[in-house]
Amino acid sequence: MARTPAPDIAIIGYAQSPSWRAAELTEPQFLFPVISEAIERAGIERREIDFTCAGSCDYLSGQTFAFVMNLEAVGAWPPISESHVEMDGAWALYEAWVRLQHGDVDTALVFGSGKSSPGVPAEIYPLQMDPYTITPLGADPVSIAALQARAMLDAGKITEREMAEIAARSRANAIGNPYAQVTGDFDVDELLAEPYHTAPLRKHDLPPISDGACAVVIATAAKAKEVCERPVWIRGIDHRIEVHQPGMRNLTESPSTRLAGQQAGVGDAPVDVAELCATFSHQEKILRAELGLGGDVEINPSGGALAANPVMAVGLARIAEAARQIAEHGKRRAVAHATSGQALQQNLVCVLEGD
Amino acid sequence: MSDKTASDKTANSKPAPGDTAPDPDAPVTGMDYFMQLEYHELLCPVVRRYAEKLRAGKLIGHRCPKCGLVYAPPRGYCPIDVVETTDADEVELANRGVVTNFTIVTPVQYYGQTKTEPFAKVSIQLDEPGGTLTLQDVLDCPVDDVRVGMRVEAVWAPPEERDTSQIGNRSWGSAEGCIKGWRPTGEPDLPADQFLQAAF
Repeated sequence: MARTPAPDIAIIGYAQSPSWRAAELTEPQFLFPVISEAIERAGIERREIDFTCAGSCDYLSGQTFAFVMNLEAVGAWPPISESHVEMDGAWALYEAWVRLQHGDVDTALVFGSGKSSPGVPAEIYPLQMDPYTITPLGADPVSIAALQARAMLDAGKITEREMAEIAARSRANAIGNPYAQVTGDFDVDELLAEPYHTAPLRKHDLPPISDGACAVVIATAAKAKEVCERPVWIRGIDHRIEVHQPGMRNLTESPSTRLAGQQAGVGDAPVDVAELCATFSHQEKILRAELGLGGDVEINPSGGALAANPVMAVGLARIAEAARQIAEHGKRRAVAHATSGQALQQNLVCVLEGD
Repeated sequence: MSDKTASDKTANSKPAPGDTAPDPDAPVTGMDYFMQLEYHELLCPVVRRYAEKLRAGKLIGHRCPKCGLVYAPPRGYCPIDVVETTDADEVELANRGVVTNFTIVTPVQYYGQTKTEPFAKVSIQLDEPGGTLTLQDVLDCPVDDVRVGMRVEAVWAPPEERDTSQIGNRSWGSAEGCIKGWRPTGEPDLPADQFLQAAF
């Protein structure tokens, strides 16, 4: 299917908070400097922002309408045009990207934020599953990811050593990332000597529990060229979803990632670097295969989601990190990926390019 | 979880879902799923300090260095001007003020509701240097007498009874556990018209 060319939209600013195991600041408090920094780096005034879209989850915060409080970090008086998605900030970016297609406004602020520390993730996440057949089983993300990893191992698509290698590389890459939470040099044999957490997953195969935020400013081509020295162009962005019931999917594949990647144009030209939201080690291999990323593509120079997993911001952070590779590290073409649901149920793929 | 559910049932005589035995021959049209989620959030530094001051019998707020608006309790920023506020912007607040708005809550006896009679929750604009507390209780005043413009003063719990365990990062506007409520001072009302534009 031919893609309809969309007007060029660029990322002109981005910022992140550190990733904390348990932040003592409130979500609006730690969003506050992140949003200010993203706007400042974009080289615009706050009042120049035409549209704001946020991604967060009230179930994580433990309070209804917690997302409204997050607007206090934006500067919402006099009233602004804004929207919210109960999803990762990457989908907020998608909504803002669609909004800018209208052509009547030219600048949008996007942010994602979450505090996983106050609640018990293993009790919260089963609530997003089928309420009759799966939620009562207490099927938490780690258990479902373990089933997925087992299916991969049984199918001969990955080994436990490869999983440990992905974890070790992620933690080593994260050493230079000031926002990361789990960093350091680890020996693969030592990692493999660790006991299972939830077989076949060891602790290193799991993401950390994190609090944090990410903000991105995007603009139309004319505006981006006016205010930004090195705009990062969004060449393609698409998201696809699979059925809710994990038992109806082949968990060793991700057709939604494949489709989103095709629609976003991943394969149209060589890719230098990819930031993949693989919250469990084995998922990185699925994503690489579905996106057709060969051994020459640098994967997760930031350390990825295994180094910092601020839920609701971690996908947007992949886009910000991919943009950083172009704006600050001279890369030409980057792929960013975000995911939602369990075991890669829903996936968003974004292709970024420099001038 | 099951213990909690059982004690809740004892405390409340209303039947809870699942109390009646299902008819074994009837088709299954629904199912009960008891669940609870617990959250434990660290108090942020500005609210921690606010709680400490409450235990010492003092109400504090932050005054925005730009617009001068006083936030009670402090938030650590002014959302209107988008500037951060710190201890340097701290002000001690008055124990007297005026009711700027109110809601009469008529309790519906849903599962877990302990109140039976109508009660008022009021917003109070404090005297100089200002600040507005929301969702406060009114003492020594019949519900029907609560009105905008009514002058009130804080009734503090004795120091040994003060308890800030219910103060959270989100309970902005609350002095629960330290201020029992607000009672009419008996002073003449202020004109209600002047609070029509008050935010709360």
